[in-house]
Amino acid sequence: MWSPRRPVLTAAQQYAILKASAICTGNGTLKPGRLSWRFEASPSPLSRRYSVRIDYRQGATPLVFVDRPDLVELSAGRRLPHVYAQKPPRLCLYLPSSAEWAAEMRIDQTIVPWTILWLYYFEEWLDSNEWKGGGVHPKESD
Amino acid sequence: MVIGEDLLLRKRDLLGVLERVCEGLELTDTQFRLAKERYQAVGAWLADASSPVLRTLAIYLQGSTAIGTTVKPINGDEYDVDLVAHIAGLGSAFTPASVKKAIGDRLRASGHYAALLQEMARCWRLNYAHEFHLDITPSIPNPACRAGGELVPDKTVKEWCPSNPKGYKVLFERRATLTPRLRILEGAVEKRLRADIEPYPISRGPKGILRRTVQILKRHRDHHFAELDSCLAPISVIITTLASRSYEHCASNIVYDSEFDLLCDIIRYMPNYIGVGTTDDGRRQWFIWNETTTAENFAEKWNADSQRATAFYNWHARALAHIQSLPNIEGLDRLTKSLRESFGTAPADRALAGLTADISSARARGILSVAPVVGLRIGQSPGTTAVRPNTFYGKE
Repeated sequence: MWSPRRPVLTAAQQYAILKASAICTGNGTLKPGRLSWRFEASPSPLSRRYSVRIDYRQGATPLVFVDRPDLVELSAGRRLPHVYAQKPPRLCLYLPSSAEWAAEMRIDQTIVPWTILWLYYFEEWLDSNEWKGGGVHPKESD
Repeated sequence: MVIGEDLLLRKRDLLGVLERVCEGLELTDTQFRLAKERYQAVGAWLADASSPVLRTLAIYLQGSTAIGTTVKPINGDEYDVDLVAHIAGLGSAFTPASVKKAIGDRLRASGHYAALLQEMARCWRLNYAHEFHLDITPSIPNPACRAGGELVPDKTVKEWCPSNPKGYKVLFERRATLTPRLRILEGAVEKRLRADIEPYPISRGPKGILRRTVQILKRHRDHHFAELDSCLAPISVIITTLASRSYEHCASNIVYDSEFDLLCDIIRYMPNYIGVGTTDDGRRQWFIWNETTTAENFAEKWNADSQRATAFYNWHARALAHIQSLPNIEGLDRLTKSLRESFGTAPADRALAGLTADISSARARGILSVAPVVGLRIGQSPGTTAVRPNTFYGKE
């Protein structure tokens, strides 16, 4: 059955949504066609608090960074799993060119919960040295 | 963000993690059923003897298996299952050695039990390799005890000495059922969080906070003394007695914000129930009385060797300091490391792996969500955000 495609959310709409969300209370900046949002998140009450930054240019991939604490320092010489770059660490939260993320989706309902989930598995990895969150690496799939 | 909320949530989750540590250390239901089948069979075999001494024998559980506070031994994998072989029809005219011998003879008469049998100082042990061993201690009635106590052999098996395993169990269980007083959260923020800050999940669980406290302390003791002289370690009945008396005090007199605070207080007040005196020649004496009979001092050995008392107080201070420090730890990795240092690698690893398995299973079933302040949460409710399916990717 044909269904109309939902409209792409503008950067201003995403910004307003992030501002209203209770799971990523923080602050940011909005410029024409792009936004930056910073918030504190903790994957569980037993976890650290992390300063997260989402940089988003409308229609592009949202870029997710953990500004504090220093993940590289925490990993004590081990290479961080599921990041695009080690420093500064940019998190790989979804499969590109899949339907997991699209510009019609709300960042607070996708990227934000996935960031918090990533942080959970990160802390578990710090201890167990095993990434238990699943996922793929391009070498395996490409 | 209110700091108090964060702390309450952390304490709640900490207790959950400690409960996981305990769950990984205790006899499973299957092991318990197996132990029960085996000791009932032993009891039937003993009572079926032609020996008139054993005619009125009945076997029953005592100790940690009886009261639900078992902890896996730190070395080896066999649990202690302590049993009393009570012979209601015997008087103290029978010597402890003769009663013990009658039980041993009967066990040896069975090829099955003879192969498992090992003689211990005061009891007979049946070794079920890699599962548990059954320790069978003879007992006879103690007519001098108004509380229905029994007599068991002393460690030389020459004298009968008072004990009351049944009465002890009844008293412990009565205390364990006391409901702790916990402050009900009020106010708008708390109401919003109430579903997430269930302040007393353990008290409502089948084990209750007292049994969990005893298990946590026993394991802490085993780990602490593994690197020291383990002969100096306080015996389990001392930990159990002091914790249960302290719990009765805390549950009856103090209102708590969290079960974790209650746990700390139970530990803190334990030494209050140790009687301290001085002999005529100036030596210190310690008394931890069995409240369910007369003249059984669980701290008797401390009076022969005061190093045992010192070892208890040192360990107790360490245990309290460690448990109290847990809420200051941020990070699942750092928490697990700290638990490993106090309880050993296997139970700490198992606790973290269990936590993660629950998260991953909820994620796979589509019931994982993110709640404000809390973070990841299993189940969905108004105000939470579902964690949609995703695939972690990455060039690294």
